Amino acid sequence: MPKKIVKGQELSQPARASARVLKRLYVREIPDEEKPAEALKWLDYYRKDRRSLVMAMESCVKCGVCANECHAYLGTKDPNNIPAGRADLMRKVYKRYFTVQGRLFGNLVGAEDITMDTLEKWFSYYYQCTECRRCGHVCPFGIDTCEVTMAGREILWGIGMIPDLQGAASAAVYERGNQGNMTKQALIETHDFLSDEIEEERGFRMEFPVDKPNSDILYVPSSADYLLNPETLKGACQFFEYVGANWTISSHMTEAGNFGLLTEQHSVQRELVERLWRTVAELGIKKIVFGECGHGWRAWKMYTPTLTDYAIAGSGYDYHNRVPIVHIHDEVAAYVKMGKLKLNPRDNRLAPVGKSITLHDPCNYCRACNLIQNLRVNLYASVPEVREMTPNGEKNFCCGGGSAVLYDDPEMYELRGKFSLKKVEQIKATGADILCAPCSICKAQFYGVLKEYHHLDIPIQGLIDFVGAALVFKGHRQI
Amino acid sequence: MELFVGKILPYITVALLLGGITWRIWRWMIGRIVHNITLSPFPSSWGAAVAWILWQIVSFWNIFKFDKPLWVGAWTMHVALASIFGGHVLGIATLGNQFHLLLPWIVTEAQSEAASNALGTTFGLIFLVALLYLLYRRFAVEKVRVISAPSDYLHLLLLILIVGVGDYMRVFHAVAVEYEAARDFMLGLILFHPGPMPVIHETGLINWYFFVHFLAVQIMLIIFPFSKLMHPFGILWNRWIYNRPYPEPPMGLPGVKLKL
Repeated sequence: MPKKIVKGQELSQPARASARVLKRLYVREIPDEEKPAEALKWLDYYRKDRRSLVMAMESCVKCGVCANECHAYLGTKDPNNIPAGRADLMRKVYKRYFTVQGRLFGNLVGAEDITMDTLEKWFSYYYQCTECRRCGHVCPFGIDTCEVTMAGREILWGIGMIPDLQGAASAAVYERGNQGNMTKQALIETHDFLSDEIEEERGFRMEFPVDKPNSDILYVPSSADYLLNPETLKGACQFFEYVGANWTISSHMTEAGNFGLLTEQHSVQRELVERLWRTVAELGIKKIVFGECGHGWRAWKMYTPTLTDYAIAGSGYDYHNRVPIVHIHDEVAAYVKMGKLKLNPRDNRLAPVGKSITLHDPCNYCRACNLIQNLRVNLYASVPEVREMTPNGEKNFCCGGGSAVLYDDPEMYELRGKFSLKKVEQIKATGADILCAPCSICKAQFYGVLKEYHHLDIPIQGLIDFVGAALVFKGHRQI
Repeated sequence: MELFVGKILPYITVALLLGGITWRIWRWMIGRIVHNITLSPFPSSWGAAVAWILWQIVSFWNIFKFDKPLWVGAWTMHVALASIFGGHVLGIATLGNQFHLLLPWIVTEAQSEAASNALGTTFGLIFLVALLYLLYRRFAVEKVRVISAPSDYLHLLLLILIVGVGDYMRVFHAVAVEYEAARDFMLGLILFHPGPMPVIHETGLINWYFFVHFLAVQIMLIIFPFSKLMHPFGILWNRWIYNRPYPEPPMGLPGVKLKL
């Protein structure tokens, strides 16, 4: 993608989705001269729809606390990557058209007309924000710039400005129910291969059931696990087999991630939600367990109950009496805390004695889903030595690839490297030998950027990988 | 001029202030809190969430944790502002007897007035220094300068004008406004019988320092609901979205052989 130049400033932008992809997404690209007016209509719609957006637009006092807490600004020193500055790209337009002060005083209060240049800037900077919510965590008012980024991306989506990566992944969701565009055959073959591996390691075979009717538990892995993180799938399988679960993986809905949350909540996010409930109804599922995916877990835990009206069991708004949606690490941690799992941290294939492991807290777990302590419960029980990063937990820095800012275009790749500067600093400071990143996007970011950009050669594993490898089986099962 | 600023504008100001605040909040309430997007670690209950919000408001906790140099200026400025606001209301209403009325068996009337004067002057000066520090910070610190609009400076300058003139009247007694004069003037406004503005005793002419102070305050109150000055309300409405409890589903897998 050639660099766009707006008012003398070079903008890095991800490659755009082609007309063919837009067609698969049922999106009509609007001609450039109509885009600003159309974008304004969408902004008007979202400001009336979401209080979080209105409050972000109207509450900022520009105190600047967020600046040095954002990995994107720390890495690039670009004022538009200061969360307040990034939100200001939209706030200027918002002020101009929807506030008294902006209409009366214009530039004096920082209001600006919307033009094609504005939208080009949005397309650049709203795809540089990783929606990690660290700014929301540090803001004295609790303003969450993630909400602005989400709205910005949705407006751009509405006018047909979509990055190829998000567009292609979303089109794959419509067609196959996962972002990796995998067929059922591909799933089964991968499972067979992984079963063989487990057989070699453990001496007995474990199967991955696919679309098994009358299953109690639906395990939803991230589709990236099939391509990049086989150990994560193996870990989950070993846990379910260990506790003797009647579980299955669905080929209709094989995606723990949900790019819809990050870029388009109207149709893409709902498509996966609808697929999930249909699968649940068809297979007689009683509980849904999600695999390792940061933003995905946020989408399923925090958004699905309010996105769906589909009562599977029970009635009324008490959605926890319907089919509960849980994360595999919450479930594993419940077992570990009760002492029901026999884990041997001294005999872990993936974390040999003498190696230390550091945990990267995925942003969406630690700042959106309350999954901080349980990760540690599981990690400390399964590996010989843990070295914590500083800061960690809800103060942790993003990997730099959050919200699928995983573009391979040279200038965006360069930015991904810069976004992860703070993270690499943190990892190096721990001196750990292995990096544990229980999130598909974090893993995808680290696989590429750590070695190629930062020349940091460190193995990267998910967390359930360690749990699976540390499980001590008696024969085929513990029981 | 005096007629307009002293007798007519105050009613317009109050109407715009109260009407503007109501209108702005009504606008905020149009949009829904669509999903529970609370920031974790989640508060354990609504009580804990409200306590956390109040703690943030009272202590500026996040600024203290993440930007101490700002906290020194911002927290001090707001504490001084709150004290001065309280001092204006109580001091003028009770003619400086607020401490005597609060603790009549300890503080005499004369002591109360002396304390009121001393505190007013002290906080007035602290307020001014803190505002100048914040203005300097906005110019000097790059990360703040690059995100500032002209209005961000103007808000500070307006406050500096108000407090500067106010401090001047406090420090130089010749142009001071006595409690009685201020009370009579305000009482006249409240009872819809506006009287003349306070005068300078020596000359018997209108106190132009007071005039400027009073006018600048009214300008500030008029722009309050339509600008970022609404942030004391904004923090409540915003944190209401992001600091709320979330009921977790129970753990335990159905149909497993190894039960919890």
